[in-house]
Amino acid sequence: MNRFSPLSRNTMSLSGEKSSALELARGRLPFVAAFFALAWLLVAMRVFDLTIIQGGFLRTDERSALATAESEQEPVLRAHIVDRNGVLIATTLKTASLYADPKLVLDPDSVAGGLARIFPDLDERDLREKLKSNRRFVWISRNLTPEEQARVLELGEPGLNFRSEPRRIYPQGNLAAHIGGYTDIDGRGLAGIERSFDEVLSAGAEPVRLTLDVRLQYFLRREMAKAVHDFNAVGGAGLVMDVRNGEILAAVSLPDFDPHDPGTADDSARFNRITLGVYEAGSIFKIFSTAALLEFRSASMAQRFDAREPLKRGGHTISDYHAEKRILTLPEVFMYSSNIGSALMGEEVGTENLRDFYRDLGLFAAPDIGIRESGEPLVPYPWRDINTLTASYGHGIAVTPLQIIAAAATIVGSGTLVHPVLVFDETAAGSHNIARNAADLRIVKPQTAHRMRQLLRLVVTDGTGSNADVPGYQVGGKTGTADKIGPHGYDRNRRISSFLGVFPMSSPRYAVLIMIDEPKGNKTSFGYATGGWVAAPAVGNVIAAMGQLLGVPVVEQGEGPDELVASLLKHVHKEEKHLVSY
Amino acid sequence: MLGPITIQDDRVTFWKKIQQMNYGLILLICLIAGVGFTALYSAAGGDVDPWASRQFMRFVFCLGVMFVVAMIGIHWWFRLSYLTYFGGLVLLVYVEIMGHIGMGAQRWINLGFMNVQPSELMKIAVVMALARYFHTATLDDVRRIRFLLVPAAIIVTPVALVLLQPDLGTSLMIVMAGGAMFFMAGVPLWMFGVLGGVALASLPVAWQFMHEYQKKRVMTFLDPESDPLGSGYHITQSKIALGSGGIDGKGFLQGTQSHLNFLPEKQTDFIFTLWAEEWGLLGGLALLALFGLVFLYGIWISFRCRHGYGRMLALGLTVNLSLYVFINIGMVMGLIPVVGAPLPLVSYGGTAMLSAMIGFGLIMSCNIHRDAKLARMQ
Repeated sequence: MNRFSPLSRNTMSLSGEKSSALELARGRLPFVAAFFALAWLLVAMRVFDLTIIQGGFLRTDERSALATAESEQEPVLRAHIVDRNGVLIATTLKTASLYADPKLVLDPDSVAGGLARIFPDLDERDLREKLKSNRRFVWISRNLTPEEQARVLELGEPGLNFRSEPRRIYPQGNLAAHIGGYTDIDGRGLAGIERSFDEVLSAGAEPVRLTLDVRLQYFLRREMAKAVHDFNAVGGAGLVMDVRNGEILAAVSLPDFDPHDPGTADDSARFNRITLGVYEAGSIFKIFSTAALLEFRSASMAQRFDAREPLKRGGHTISDYHAEKRILTLPEVFMYSSNIGSALMGEEVGTENLRDFYRDLGLFAAPDIGIRESGEPLVPYPWRDINTLTASYGHGIAVTPLQIIAAAATIVGSGTLVHPVLVFDETAAGSHNIARNAADLRIVKPQTAHRMRQLLRLVVTDGTGSNADVPGYQVGGKTGTADKIGPHGYDRNRRISSFLGVFPMSSPRYAVLIMIDEPKGNKTSFGYATGGWVAAPAVGNVIAAMGQLLGVPVVEQGEGPDELVASLLKHVHKEEKHLVSY
Repeated sequence: MLGPITIQDDRVTFWKKIQQMNYGLILLICLIAGVGFTALYSAAGGDVDPWASRQFMRFVFCLGVMFVVAMIGIHWWFRLSYLTYFGGLVLLVYVEIMGHIGMGAQRWINLGFMNVQPSELMKIAVVMALARYFHTATLDDVRRIRFLLVPAAIIVTPVALVLLQPDLGTSLMIVMAGGAMFFMAGVPLWMFGVLGGVALASLPVAWQFMHEYQKKRVMTFLDPESDPLGSGYHITQSKIALGSGGIDGKGFLQGTQSHLNFLPEKQTDFIFTLWAEEWGLLGGLALLALFGLVFLYGIWISFRCRHGYGRMLALGLTVNLSLYVFINIGMVMGLIPVVGAPLPLVSYGGTAMLSAMIGFGLIMSCNIHRDAKLARMQ
């Protein structure tokens, strides 16, 4: 038995290699201790950093030292958030909050009874305990109404006192909850504009003015809520954008929540699907792939694509939802939304061209519109040839609804890049927003943009988007229906059905996008839950309402085909009216 | 072949053992648990229900367990090391199989009076098994790769099982505590270098195998702003609460962030935030100092031990506990990604407290029996 004496420092040298490693262990112990000491220091420094440096404690200290007199005055009220017309989205009211100093309360039992009558949601027993506690400060109720305050004063209890507290009020309620955001009870912005503009707002200066129009916001939310309800969907995202300057006129995410009480909403309701959620958009992407074909290959409207058989490429099979099973012309591929045709288009454009085109359109990076809830798009990496095919009909790439509408606005507008804008910044520093949209970064040629306007109009006059038509407003658009990814690949029963509408098509002014999450078919849609049946009618209703409100001139339509699409119709093989839309 | 285990410290009597107890360490443990009760009382809005009272009962029970563990001779723990380890493995396999049979992703076994998480016990069992294995190691041994295969397997097997649960945090903790013991055993530094290199190189591969929620946690950690309403929400809220504490905090029961439910899991994983919001920088540092003293105590006991087993055991358990502290506090302060790790003795929860107290009991047993003579392998 090899005994060793741990006290004998010589063991190692005496018995050489055979000696125990425990001596070494003793030598290494300080290193372990030192390592952890360092970690300890790091953590301690971080505590210091968070509580003192980032906590703004020192800053407040300084300020109060400089201007003690000022800090004793009324606290600065948080600034308003208003829409483009100055309608209040968020404002601050001064309210009284009630607290008690139990030491001064003379008769806790009767006071508790009195308070319980004024505040029915407070429990009398809890109140009694609070009032009998040994603390010098207990909150009873915060943000009282004037009437409640008056009734408390009538109790005449010296131990009850008020503290004046600002309260954030959202007059529009749920309407702009995701964009406007909300604050915590101490008035710090936690989401949306409240969060990203926290410093500006808490300085109490000029209101922050958004590009939103509360009236359009209302139309959009009404129609989306109706679609979500009618088709028993889980939610939706919608946007209205001014095509010429990228201003976001309305942005709705459903389900939504009451910004006065975000704590009770579940994560799904608080989730901003407009700028944070990324989705595979499906056939709406055919706008982009078709534009790429026109741009790079100067394709003619007579060009044909063989959609007779499902397309087989490298082990993947691409087929159509409702196969035409014939050779389609370019306009037919677009209006009947043929995946095979679009994939062939992408193939012809070429992998590098299509990828670069998508990147130039802004589909690869989240745009900065001034709110921090911004989702990064999921772009295939590496981008292989098969990704080019699927991306041509909007699969294998997931982007935010905001990116989709901005890219579509780029293509159907003047052909120059549209940067989405949410906040008017009248200061000099903020003028870059306007400058950016005036920079004329050309993405597609004017004739490509013109062709695309014709094609989008054709989808509504003769194709899958007919449910979105509003007589007089020359609506154009594109449907999209994408199966969602479930645990076992794409799930045919869970899909996102969307429609992107633009009007008036001869000189596009507004774009409207509605995406409905997991709709189920109903009787009015003959059991279909596709973009053409679910989202297109909703977009049509929004356009009808906003066209009237904004006074968009009505285009008188004569008999016969729309002049925009007349030249395309000779390439379209007319058959029986399509009942099924996608 | 194992030699007979010789017990030569029969002279250590019961009273002698009582005298040898580390009362300083016990005081520190009680102080830290006291912080826990205070914070839990505050978390419930100034009420012993539902957390503080139960936590206190558990602490009293666990204190008893710790006493018993500490009194049991170190040679018994030495003998039981491998048995404990294999028992732990069986339990891990059991939850894994039950999970597949249809109880969902269940990580614990219901013993009737309490739920036991095998992975929690496994952290202690791995340290015991490694300590026993390295007890006999010579400098010559630890330089041979073949000699190190067995301890490597001792670590890798439970880690693989825990990863299947899937619990990335616990598996990383087992690896780190095991790594510290390898280091103490005298494994040449170049081996750590090579292993570290291989680990770095395999990171991209591991990324592919990570669950979506784990990837998201890492991404959220790298940029919490990217998901301020999802997983980033917790961290952002936690940081805001800490920041609002200032130097001396908002005062007992006055923390607004935590009480108004902006802070999730305030009674378990995020209890440090609640504590620091109400007691400020000073409170936070004081709690850190208490844990720091416990760590030094553990290191000191390890240093004093006259046998390899005790030295390794005390070190491994001390490192294990410190990792918990760092991971929990680092997480709530946004230093590391969110992994569900409680703050030992402070967070509300039974198994975590039991395993921490068993750990302290073993460390004390090492101290009480520091002069024991344990057999060596031939």
